[in-house]
Amino acid sequence: MKITVKDAETGSTIDMDVEEDNTVEEVVESSANYWNKDPGAYVIRFGKKQLGGQTSIGGTTIQKGDVVELIPDPTGGR
Amino acid sequence: MHVMATLTLQAGDVDRDKYDRSKRFGWFDRDAVRDAAVLVVGAGALGNETCKDLILSGFRNISLVDMDHVVLSNLNRCVFFSNGDAEQRRYKANVIAEKAARLDPDVQVEPYVQKIQELPDDFIARHDVVLGCLDNIETRLHLNAHAYYRGIPYIDGGTRGLVGKVQVVVPPDTSCLECGMNVTHHRVKDVRYSCTGDDVTVFEPKMASDVNTTSIISAVQVQETLKLVNGRRERLIENLFYYDANRNVADVMEVPLDPGCPHHQ
Repeated sequence: MKITVKDAETGSTIDMDVEEDNTVEEVVESSANYWNKDPGAYVIRFGKKQLGGQTSIGGTTIQKGDVVELIPDPTGGR
Repeated sequence: MHVMATLTLQAGDVDRDKYDRSKRFGWFDRDAVRDAAVLVVGAGALGNETCKDLILSGFRNISLVDMDHVVLSNLNRCVFFSNGDAEQRRYKANVIAEKAARLDPDVQVEPYVQKIQELPDDFIARHDVVLGCLDNIETRLHLNAHAYYRGIPYIDGGTRGLVGKVQVVVPPDTSCLECGMNVTHHRVKDVRYSCTGDDVTVFEPKMASDVNTTSIISAVQVQETLKLVNGRRERLIENLFYYDANRNVADVMEVPLDPGCPHHQ
């Protein structure tokens, strides 16, 4: 099915074909690579959830046509 | 005989109690806050703000772990540090421990100038709550694992430029940090996103960092600590507070528990 991934930092979007057995971290990696994101940790946000990397797309409530967001996971603080 | 109890009010009484305004929340338990043992790991930007807020909130028993020293570039966001501290390359934990007394002479900030991984196995267990104010994922994972195993709440703060987050982990009920991670975290696990430049495992360009985003994230960490200590667990963030200072917007997100996570087997 086709979903849309939005880069939360720039507002850019990209359509992505995903299968039920694709994992969330595959979506993270593919989109971060596509946008050539700076090195660092990123996560996928869907609605009010931050999805774990090992979760399969089939294990979420993501449906065809849904928009998920790629957001930076802030890991600095010093 | 009719006995009438008399109560004499003294004008200005309400301003003689340091915690009068805190007590007016109704749920603020001065003794519980004073007696709680709080562990803060990291004495950088988040660590400075977090310690300041803990002390002003009434916490008196704080352990502070950090092995780094002060540099001039810290001074745009670290309330306890000065030019002199940077010139003398003083250790951050020692500086905060010393200057904490200026905020309150009764506070005990015990500094540990070393890595948390070097402290004894039972060190974390001596505390009621752990606050992560770190710049790297590896140490976060260490704290997450050890606190979860010991059943101690862990409140993790993080910033990246104008974006920040706070995740609240309360074993055994909630998900943990590792539940929300993926391959991008493991790829940069050993990297310190540091302001200082020393001791980095892999060189990375320095990150932007400001006191405003830092203050908000630290304030949320300490507010969650107050809820924990005052028995207001039903009001805790579930599970992650996310703040974007670019647009000044914030949101709360659920981080589902991952049944494959090693801490939930």
